[in-house]
Amino acid sequence: MNGLWLIVTKDLRAELRRPESLISMIFFGFLLLVVLNLAIPLGTEVAPETGAGILWVAITFAFVLGLARTMSREKENRCLEGLLLSPLAAESLFGAKMVVNLVLLLVAELSIIPLFFILYGDIPLHSLPMLIVVVLMANTGLAATGTLFSAITAGTSRNEALLPLLFYPVVIPLVSITVKVTGMIFLGAAVAEYESWLYVMAAYGLIFTGLGVLLFGQIITE
Amino acid sequence: MRSSLRDRIYIILTALVFVTAIYMVFIHAPTERVMGPIQKIFYFHLACALAAFLSFLTAFVSGIFYLVRRDLQWDILGAASVEIGLVFTTLVLITGVLWGRPVWNAWWTWDPRLTTSLILWFIYAACLILRFSVDRQDKRAAFCAVMAIAGFVDVPIVFLSARLWRTIHPVVIRAGSIDMAPAMIQALLVALAAFTMLWVVLLYQRSRTLFMHNRIQLLEKQLDGEQT
Repeated sequence: MNGLWLIVTKDLRAELRRPESLISMIFFGFLLLVVLNLAIPLGTEVAPETGAGILWVAITFAFVLGLARTMSREKENRCLEGLLLSPLAAESLFGAKMVVNLVLLLVAELSIIPLFFILYGDIPLHSLPMLIVVVLMANTGLAATGTLFSAITAGTSRNEALLPLLFYPVVIPLVSITVKVTGMIFLGAAVAEYESWLYVMAAYGLIFTGLGVLLFGQIITE
Repeated sequence: MRSSLRDRIYIILTALVFVTAIYMVFIHAPTERVMGPIQKIFYFHLACALAAFLSFLTAFVSGIFYLVRRDLQWDILGAASVEIGLVFTTLVLITGVLWGRPVWNAWWTWDPRLTTSLILWFIYAACLILRFSVDRQDKRAAFCAVMAIAGFVDVPIVFLSARLWRTIHPVVIRAGSIDMAPAMIQALLVALAAFTMLWVVLLYQRSRTLFMHNRIQLLEKQLDGEQT
């Protein structure tokens, strides 16, 4: 547990000194919010469900940019071998990387989501606490899956190009449910109406965190 | 290495069952009243879906066995089943689209069941792309095993989310009862048997080819080693 936090602080300190991942994530998310606006005819109001889709496409696309860096940084100068030689279990390594990815995602979202509300101003936010809950649940699933797959693609010859190809198909169910729930929050639906979706999101997060803990060691030792 | 007598008998048997299935579907089973002859595609559609599911189950199980045992035989079986599963999923999607055009009046609807199958297709296509992207054999095997396991674990979640959506996909088999004429059920069963047998033939032949390919590469490497 101690080693886990050592790696987390190491990674976050490295990120803080040169926040290249974070800046490119936020910049790309911002860019996507503008580009996806092209799909909407000028002067028409964005439907809340469409807005939710645009928001999450921007977030998940931006996330993949940072995701590729977290693992490939360890590949440089054979840092990964050093980590494997340390008396640190592969499970803690997975936990550390997942936490780092979670923090990166959350910080990027802290800029992307307000930007979204500024740019798509006519979308009402009925419940901020519920939006936070949904964002945190989605983040868990995205970070768990992302950490597992970034470890795979970091070991391949064309890592950055391969990651989205593996990552997106597996997270489609999570993202589609997140879009649905976020849309319902924008519409002001009661919690009871989308409660059952939240269970699926929680199940996704739990299953893929478990899968990551179980399989990360198998990947990382290759 | 020629195929053994047993293999050839099995292939001939599969062909015979296939011919029977075609007879059952087109002549034995009655034509459906509302949809007409286009309904016949259903027998093959469902049979392909079964074969696809069997493939992904095999890929999942062999993925687990590879990670536990580290025996390349399991990787070969997994590789063959992903390839075959992808072919059958493609067939499921194509037959579904052909059926949907006259019956639903649309090539494609974003019905959950359709979306689910398409997501599956993407997951296993990604498995195949991953296989081409890693050079070292044991590394490739481990990565593909993890991808096959993650993909299969995703399937129930995809299904769960589909359950929450409202579906327009016909539900033919409900718990306890089947909404079909007896002759149709007979035709369906024979079609399912035919496709399962075809699946076994393809899986066996493909994994044998991959196995031999593997051995040739190994021998080539040994020869190179002796020459230098």
